[in-house]
Amino acid sequence: MKTIAISGKGGTGKTTITALIIRWFSDHGKNSVLAVDADSNVNLNDVLGVELKDTIGAIREEMKSLAGELPGGMTKQQFLEYKIQSSLVETPKFDLIAMGRPEGPGCYCYANNLLREILSAINTNYHHVVIDNEAGMEHLSRRTAQKIDCLLIISDPSTRGIRAAGKISRLLSELDTRVQERYLILNRVRKTVPQSVKKAIEDEKLKLLCSIPEDDRLLGLDQKGKPVWDILADSPVYQSVDRMMKLMNFKR
Amino acid sequence: MSKLIATRAIRGAHKLVARAEKELKRAIEEKGPQTKVEFPNTGYYLPISHGIIGINIETLEGLQELLEEAKKLLPPVPEKKLWVPYLGHTLDAGMATLFADEIIEAIKYTQEPLPYLPEPNPSDNQLWLGAANDIILRERGIEFVDGTAPGFAACVGYCPTNEIAVKIARELQEKNLYVFMSAATEGKSMAQQLQEEGIQMGWETRLVPFGDDVTATVHSLGFATRVALSFGGAKPGDFQRVLRYNKNRVFAFVLALGPVDDEKHAQAAGAINYGFPAIADTNIDQILPTGICTYEHVVSPVAHDRIVSKAIEVRGLKITIAKVPIPVAFGPAFQGERVRKDDMHVELAGQTQPGFEYLTLKELDEVEDGKIEVIGPEIDEVTEGSKIPLAIWVDVAGREMQADFEPILERQIHDFINCANGVFHMGQRDINWVRISKEAKHKGFKFEHFGSILHARLHGEYGKIVDKIQVKIYTREKEILELIETARRVYQERDERLAGMTDEEVETFYSCTLCQSFAPNHVCIITPERSGLCGAYNWLDGKAAHRINPTGPNQPVNKGKVIDAVKGQWKEINEFVYNYSHKSMEIFNAYSIIEHPMTSCGCFECLSCVLPSTNGIMTVYREHTGMTPSGMKFSTLAGTVGGGVQTPGFIGHSKHYIGSKKFISAEGGAKRIVWMNKALKEEMEPMIREIGKQEGIEAFFDMIADETVAVTEEEVLEFITKKSHPALSMPPLF
Repeated sequence: MKTIAISGKGGTGKTTITALIIRWFSDHGKNSVLAVDADSNVNLNDVLGVELKDTIGAIREEMKSLAGELPGGMTKQQFLEYKIQSSLVETPKFDLIAMGRPEGPGCYCYANNLLREILSAINTNYHHVVIDNEAGMEHLSRRTAQKIDCLLIISDPSTRGIRAAGKISRLLSELDTRVQERYLILNRVRKTVPQSVKKAIEDEKLKLLCSIPEDDRLLGLDQKGKPVWDILADSPVYQSVDRMMKLMNFKR
Repeated sequence: MSKLIATRAIRGAHKLVARAEKELKRAIEEKGPQTKVEFPNTGYYLPISHGIIGINIETLEGLQELLEEAKKLLPPVPEKKLWVPYLGHTLDAGMATLFADEIIEAIKYTQEPLPYLPEPNPSDNQLWLGAANDIILRERGIEFVDGTAPGFAACVGYCPTNEIAVKIARELQEKNLYVFMSAATEGKSMAQQLQEEGIQMGWETRLVPFGDDVTATVHSLGFATRVALSFGGAKPGDFQRVLRYNKNRVFAFVLALGPVDDEKHAQAAGAINYGFPAIADTNIDQILPTGICTYEHVVSPVAHDRIVSKAIEVRGLKITIAKVPIPVAFGPAFQGERVRKDDMHVELAGQTQPGFEYLTLKELDEVEDGKIEVIGPEIDEVTEGSKIPLAIWVDVAGREMQADFEPILERQIHDFINCANGVFHMGQRDINWVRISKEAKHKGFKFEHFGSILHARLHGEYGKIVDKIQVKIYTREKEILELIETARRVYQERDERLAGMTDEEVETFYSCTLCQSFAPNHVCIITPERSGLCGAYNWLDGKAAHRINPTGPNQPVNKGKVIDAVKGQWKEINEFVYNYSHKSMEIFNAYSIIEHPMTSCGCFECLSCVLPSTNGIMTVYREHTGMTPSGMKFSTLAGTVGGGVQTPGFIGHSKHYIGSKKFISAEGGAKRIVWMNKALKEEMEPMIREIGKQEGIEAFFDMIADETVAVTEEEVLEFITKKSHPALSMPPLF
C-alpha cells in the first residue's frame, strides 16, 4: 500500500489535484484506490462526480448520541466498523470515504481511538490511498496511524503561499508523523515562476517537485457543472499531473 | 445400577479368571515355570500388572502372582435373592478381568507359531497385531498427550454389515480417534469386516486390529496404562494416578457391537475403571452416572448412525478441528480485509437484503454435530455481482452450555467468518453483512463453508461448553422472513436481561486508562451499573475491548473482598486503582460523591456537585454554558474536577449513570438531585420520572429546579422548599 497525502492552504487546488491523481491511477488500470476526504468542507466527492452517503464525523456523532443504546446489542467497535464500512462510496475506479466535520464539545478519545484503528484497517485493503487533507494537519496526526509515502504541499505561486506551505511543512515535523517524501507543488502557474517565489521556496527549505499550469478547461468543466474527473487527458493540467506522478515514481 | 449387569460382568470375570488359571497351569506344565514371558520390545513388563499393582512379571511363574491378585479381587457372583451395592464389586471384577486377560495374552507370546504379527501394520496372512511395541507407543502415545489424537475407541464384536463397519471406522477416523479392534463374536470381528472390504489397517491408518480373542481387548487398556506411565509421570503401582490420568487425558470408550456376552461385560467393567464408558448397539442394561466415568458408564441400545457421536458425548470428548476445512486460507490476518465491490462475487444481507445471525441452545439429541444445510441457492447458483439475503442459524448443544452463553458465542460468528480469506463480514444479529470475493468463489468457497468455519472454530474456542454444533444457512427470503421474528424476539429478551445486570452479579469490572494521556493519574472503573464518565464506554464495551486488545487500556479488575458494600469499595479494586493512578489514589468508592469519589479525566459528559445548604446536588452537562447554582460555570467546574484528582463533593459522570441504581447510592441516590440545567433535565425526563416512580415520589421531576427558576444556591433552596423536595428530609450529606 502506498499513501499520498495532499495538503495546503484553502483555495490552492488541493481537491482538484487529489481528484486528478485518482483519475491518473484509474487511467493506468490501478483501481484499488481509496480516496479519503479529510477536509471538513467535504467536496472531494463533487470533483470526483459521486454522491456521498455518510461521513465519519456524522457516524461518530450518531454513536455518541446513542449513548448506551446501540442497535442489536453491538459493541461500539462493531457499530462503528459497520457504519464506516457501509459509508464507503464504491465505484469501479475507486472507493471514497469522507471524514466530515471535526468533533464538537465532549470527549472523543474513545471514538477517535476506535476510528484510527478501523480506518487503518480499511486502508490496508487498497494498493493506493489518496488523502485530501485539511490545511491544518489534524487528520494526519490524529486519525491516521499509518505512514505517508508522499506528502504533497500545494501552493499558488506567491510568496505568501510559499510561506504558508513552509508553515505546514514545519508543523508536520513537530507532529511526528511518519512521512517518507515531502514535496512542494506549485499550482495555477502562469508561464514562469517569479524569482521572489523561487527565493521563498529556498528560504522555507521546500523541495519543489513540479508546477501545474493554470488550465481554463477546469473552469469550463465547472461552468458546465461537470466534475473535474471528466477532464480530457490531453489538457495541460492533466499532462502536468501525469508528469508529477512519474516524478514520484508511480509507474504505468 | 442394575443387579443384572453387575451379575453378568462378575460372572464374566469368574469365567476369565478360571480360564487364565487353566491355561497358566497347562503352560507351566508344558514349558516350565521359568519360561520367559513378555510383550516383545516393551519396557513396561506386562503393562496392566506393572502399572496397576507395580509387579514386574518376567516368567510364567510370575504370572502365578498376578493370578492370585485376580482371584483376590473377584467378588462373589450376586445371589438371586440378595441385593447389595454392586458398583465396587463390578469394578473389582473388571480389574480381575484385565489381570486374567493379561495372563492369557502373555501366554500366547510363549507359543509357536506366534499368533500375532509384531509389526505396525498387518500383512496379507496375519491380521492381528497384539501388543504395541515401544516405538509405536512413543510415536502414537504422544498424539494422545498433545491432542492430535484425543483417544481411542475399543471396538469389540462385529457390525450387522460390512458397510456399517466401514462407516463407523471412517467416522471414528474423522474425529482423529484410534480404532482398536478385538474380541470376535461368533467368529466375526469388526477388523475382519474391514479386511473383507479391503480397508487398509494398521497403526498408520489408526485402525488397529489387536486380536480376535476377547482377552486381546486388554491391549487397548495396556496401551492406555503405558501412556500414563511414560507420558503422565505415573509410577508403577500408583494405580490411582494411572487411572485418573486416563480418565482425564485419554478420551477412550468401548463400542460393544453385536451380542454382548458375560466376558464382554467383564471387559467393559475393566474399562470403566479407567473412566472409559461402554456404548452398545444392542439392548443391554445401562449404568448411568455413578461417579467413575465423567457421565454415563454404559449406554444402550444406540443406533449405528448415532453410535459414534453418542460415544463422544458420553465420554465428554471435545472435538478439535485443527484445520478449518475450507478451500481458502483462514486466519486472523484476514480479519480486516474488505472485499471491494469490484472484486466481489456476491453480497449477502447488508443494506439492501434481509438477513440475521442467530445462535441457540438445544438439547443434545436435537443437534447432529457437523451437520450443515444450505436452504436456498448456493454460491454457484447466483450470478456475479448479485445481492441476496442471508441468515445463519446455529444450533449448539453441550452438557455445560447455558442460555447465557448464547450471545457470547453468537458474537463470535463475526470474528470467525471474517478470518476466511476473501470473505468480508460486518455486524451481527439482524444487521449482518457479508461479501465473498470472486477469488474465493473461484477457489471453491461455498455458502456451506460458513457452517464449516463455525463448526470448527466454535469447537476449537468453546470446546469446554459446546459438544455439538449444527448450522443452517438460509439464502432465500421466504424462510428468512419467517424466522427473523423469532430471532428478533430473542435479541430483545437478551437485551433486557443485559440491561438488568448488576454490579453484584459480576466478579470483574473493567478499567479504562485511555485518557491517561491527558490525566496521567486518572483511572476509570467501569461497572455494569456505572459506565465510563465520558459516556462512550460501558462494561460490555470494556469487556469487548479487552478481548480485542488484551494489553490495551481496558483491563479486567477483580473486585476481590468487599470492604464497603454501600459505598462500593473492594480490596482488589483499591489495589488496582492505587497502582494505575501511579500511587496517587489509595481508596476508591464507586458509589459516593463525598468520600473518595472516582476521579475524572476531564472528559465527563456531566458533572455533579454538592450544594451544601440544600442537602442535595446539582447536575450540569458539558453543553450548558450558563451559570450554575454552584457559582461556577461548567468550564470552571470542569477545571476543579478533572485531571485525575479526587475532589470530595464533585464527580464527573455519564448521562446514562444518572438513571443507574448505583448513582451516588451511598448518599441516597438520584433523589438528591435538586438542580439540573434545563436541557439535560428534559433530555433525561423519562429516566428521572422513572426514578421518581421507583422512589414513590411521583412529582419528583417537577421538584428539580433548573436555570429558568434558580441560578443561585439560595434560589434553589427556596424552590425546593416550596416543592418539598425529598433531599431536605434526607440525612445530612456531611
